Amino acid sequence: MSPAPAPLVETTSLVKRFGRATALEGLDLSVAEGEVHGFLGPNGAGKSTTIRVLLGLIRATSGSAQVFGLDPWRDSVRIHRDIAYVPGDVSLWPGLTGGEAIDLLTFLRGGADAALCATLIDEFEFDPRKKARTYSKGNRQKVALIAAFARPARLYILDEPSSGLDPVMEAVFRRQIERVRADGATVLLSSHILSEVEELCDRVTIIRSGVAVESGTLGDLRHLSRTSIRVAGLDASAVAAMAGVNDVRTVADALEFEVDAEAVPAVLAALSTHPVTGLRVAPASLESLFLRHYSEAK
Amino acid sequence: MRGFCRLLVTQARRDRWVLPIWIVGIAVLGLAVGAAVASQFGEEAQRAAIIVLASANPAVLFLRGLPDGLSVGAVVFFQGFAFTAVLAGLMSTFLVVRHTRADEELGRSELVGATPIGRAVPLMATLTLALLANVVLAAAVSGGYILGGLPVEGSLVAGASVGSAGLVFAGVAAILAQALPSGRGANGAAGAAVGVAYLVRGIGDALGTPSSDLTRVTPAALSWFSPIGWGQATRAFTEPTLLPLVLSLTVAVALGGAALVIRTRRDLDASLFPERAGRSRARLGGRSVLGLAWRLQRTALIAWAIGGAVLGAIAGGLAPVVAQALADNASLSQLIARLVPGTAADTVDIFTAAILGIAGILAAAAGVQAVLRLRTEETEGRAELLLATPTGRLRWLFSTGSVAAISVLVVCIATGFATGTAIATTTGDAADLGRLTGAALAHAPAAIVIVALTAVLFGALPRATIALGWGLLVLALVLGQFGELLQLPEWLQSVSPFYWSSALPVEQLDVAAAVILVAIALAGAVGAALALRRRDLVS
Repeated sequence: MSPAPAPLVETTSLVKRFGRATALEGLDLSVAEGEVHGFLGPNGAGKSTTIRVLLGLIRATSGSAQVFGLDPWRDSVRIHRDIAYVPGDVSLWPGLTGGEAIDLLTFLRGGADAALCATLIDEFEFDPRKKARTYSKGNRQKVALIAAFARPARLYILDEPSSGLDPVMEAVFRRQIERVRADGATVLLSSHILSEVEELCDRVTIIRSGVAVESGTLGDLRHLSRTSIRVAGLDASAVAAMAGVNDVRTVADALEFEVDAEAVPAVLAALSTHPVTGLRVAPASLESLFLRHYSEAK
Repeated sequence: MRGFCRLLVTQARRDRWVLPIWIVGIAVLGLAVGAAVASQFGEEAQRAAIIVLASANPAVLFLRGLPDGLSVGAVVFFQGFAFTAVLAGLMSTFLVVRHTRADEELGRSELVGATPIGRAVPLMATLTLALLANVVLAAAVSGGYILGGLPVEGSLVAGASVGSAGLVFAGVAAILAQALPSGRGANGAAGAAVGVAYLVRGIGDALGTPSSDLTRVTPAALSWFSPIGWGQATRAFTEPTLLPLVLSLTVAVALGGAALVIRTRRDLDASLFPERAGRSRARLGGRSVLGLAWRLQRTALIAWAIGGAVLGAIAGGLAPVVAQALADNASLSQLIARLVPGTAADTVDIFTAAILGIAGILAAAAGVQAVLRLRTEETEGRAELLLATPTGRLRWLFSTGSVAAISVLVVCIATGFATGTAIATTTGDAADLGRLTGAALAHAPAAIVIVALTAVLFGALPRATIALGWGLLVLALVLGQFGELLQLPEWLQSVSPFYWSSALPVEQLDVAAAVILVAIALAGAVGAALALRRRDLVS
C-alpha cells in the first residue's frame, strides 16, 4: 500500500486559551486533499476559533496546526494565496457597494475570473450596486460567497456559509461546492444544516467544548450510532431482556427501541425466533446522531 | 413608563465609565484653572494687567473669551469658560449619537423597537440621560469652583452655564442624528456644530467693544448666535444672571422636542440622505489595501481640512483687526512691551502662531482618527475578511499609516494656506502665503508623533486603543493650551510632542527638534508593526 498523502489541513493537540477561558483543548483535525469536510459542533464549541487559527489570524497557545504543510501563523500570507474564506458573520465596509467589496476582495487574492464572477452575481441574484450598509445578512453573505468562488482556490474555508440564504440560494451554493469539488479543491465546511452536510460532505468532524469527539465518514459515524427498530406482535418484556436494547416504548400496537450498533445482528437473530408480525429497521438519523453529541453532558 | 425607566437605566449603565470620565475631567480642568489663577494672579494689580492686555487684543478675545472684571472668579471664567463649554458640548453630542443613530445603524434600535414601547421612547430616554449628565456636570463644575474658594453664587451660575451649553448641543445632536444616515456622520456634523459655535462666539468676542478702563469687553451681536456666547453672557462672577440660560434651555427643549416629533414620524433607518445606487465595479483605486484605506478616510479628511481652513481663514481675517487695535492705542503697545518683556515680535505674528498651533492639533486629530479606523475594522470583523486574503498585517498597517500621515500634512497645509491667504489679502504681501503654509507644516512632525503613538497603542493594547488614542490627543491639547497657566513643571509640559515643535513665525524653525520628532515617529511605526505582528486579532 502506498503511504497516504499528507493531509491538506492538520491540527494536533491544538490548544487555544483566551486568558483563563479555554476555547480549544487539544483538537485533532485532519482534512485530506480533495475532500469536502464537514465541521460540526454546538455553538461555542470552538469551530470559529479553529478556523481563525488555521488562517493565522490568532496564534495557537500550544499544539500544532498546518495548512498545505505550512505554519499558518508564520506563513499566513503564503497560504492565503490558495485559500478562499467566508466568515460566519460577514461585515462589510458601509460606504462601499457590494460590487466594490467583491472586486476588492478578489483583487487582493490576485484577481477574479471575470466571466465566473459575472455568472455568480447572476446566479445568486445579487445587486452589486447597493451600498453595503443597506444589505441584509443574506446579501452580505452573498458578497463573501461570490468573492470566494470567483477565483479558484486550493482550499475553501467556509464558516456557516449558508446561514441567511433562502432555499433557492442554498441550492446555488451547493452547486458551487459540487463544482469546486469536481475541480479537485478541498473544502472545510462548518455548518449546522444537516441536510447540507449529508448531501455535500465526504467526511465529518464533530467537536464539542474544544475537542474532536467524532471524526469519519457519515457511514462510519452512523455505524457508531444506534439503530432504531419497530416491531409488532411481541411482548415488551421479551425485548427488554435482549442485550444491547435501550429505550423500549410502546407506540400504537407496536414496540420501538434503539439497539447499540454492535448488538444489531444478535438482536435481529433473537427477533427471528419470535412470531413477529411487523418489522422496520432504520439507520440512526443524522439528527439523533448530532443531538446525542451536541446535548451530551460534559 | 416602565419601558422608559428600563431603557434609561440600560443606557446609563452602558455609559457608566465614559460619562464619569468626561464629567470629572471637565471639573478637574476647571478646578485647576481656578487654582492657577488664584496662585499666579493673587494681587488685583496682576489681574488688572492681564485683563487690560486681553481686552485690547482681539486675538486673545477670539481664542479665550470675554474679560469681565478683575475678581479671581471673573478671570477664571474668562480663561476657562469657552473651552469648558466646548468639552461639555462634545460630551453631550457623543452621548446622544451613541444611543441614537449609531445604535440604529448597527441594528440595535430595531431590536428595541420591536418591543411594546413607543417609537420615540428610546430617544426620550437618551435626552433624559443627557439632561442628567449635564446637571451632574454643572454640579461638578460648580463644586470645583466652590472648593477653589470662588464665590458660591458665581460658581453655581458658572456651572449652570456649562451644563446649559451641553444641553443645547445635546439637542443639536438629537436633530442631526435624525437627519444623517450613519453614527459617524452624525458625530462629525455635531462635532462641527460645536466648533462653529466656538468660532461664531470667537468672532463676536473679537469684534467686541472694550470698556474705557479696559476691564471688560461687551461682545458684538454675533456672539448671541452661539450657545457658548449665551453661557458667557451670564457674567457669572461679576453680575450673575440666569436670564441668558433661559434662551439656552428654550432652544435645547425646542431641538429635543423637534427630534422627538421627527423620530415619531419617520421610518426606522430613514434619513435626509437616502442611499443611492453606486458603482457595480470597483475603480482601479478601490482594488488595493491602500486604495481602501484612502477611500475609508477620504470624507473625514475633507471635513478636517475644511475645518482647519475655516479656522485659518477666520483667524487670518481677524489679523488686521488685531493690528488696528494696537495701532490705535499707542499706550497699549507700550503696556504690552512692559508687561511681556522681550516680545518685540509682531503681535499679529503671535496671534498667527497660536492659530497654527491649533492647526497642529487638528492635523493630529485627523491622523489619529485615521489610525483608529484600524481598530474599528478589527472589532467589526472586516479586518478578518481582509487579512484572510494574501494581505499581510504590515501592508494593512502601513497603508492606513500612510493615509494618516497624508491627512496630517493635508490639514496643516489647508489651515496654513487659508490663514496665509486671508493675511496676504489684507497685507497685500503674497510672501505671507508661502511663509504661513510653511509655518503650519512645522507642526506636522509633532502631530505625526501622536499618530505613530496611537499606532503603537493599536499594536500593543488593542482593546484600549480608541480611548487612549483620543486621550493622548486631549493630553497634548491640555498641556499645550493650559500648561503655562497651570504652571506645570517644564518636564511635564515637554512630554507633549507639540512642546518641541517650533511656533513659527514667532520662533525660528528648530530643525534638529523636527528631525528628532520624525525619528521618534518612525521608531513608533516600527514598534507598532512589531507589536501587531505578534498579537491575535481580537474583537
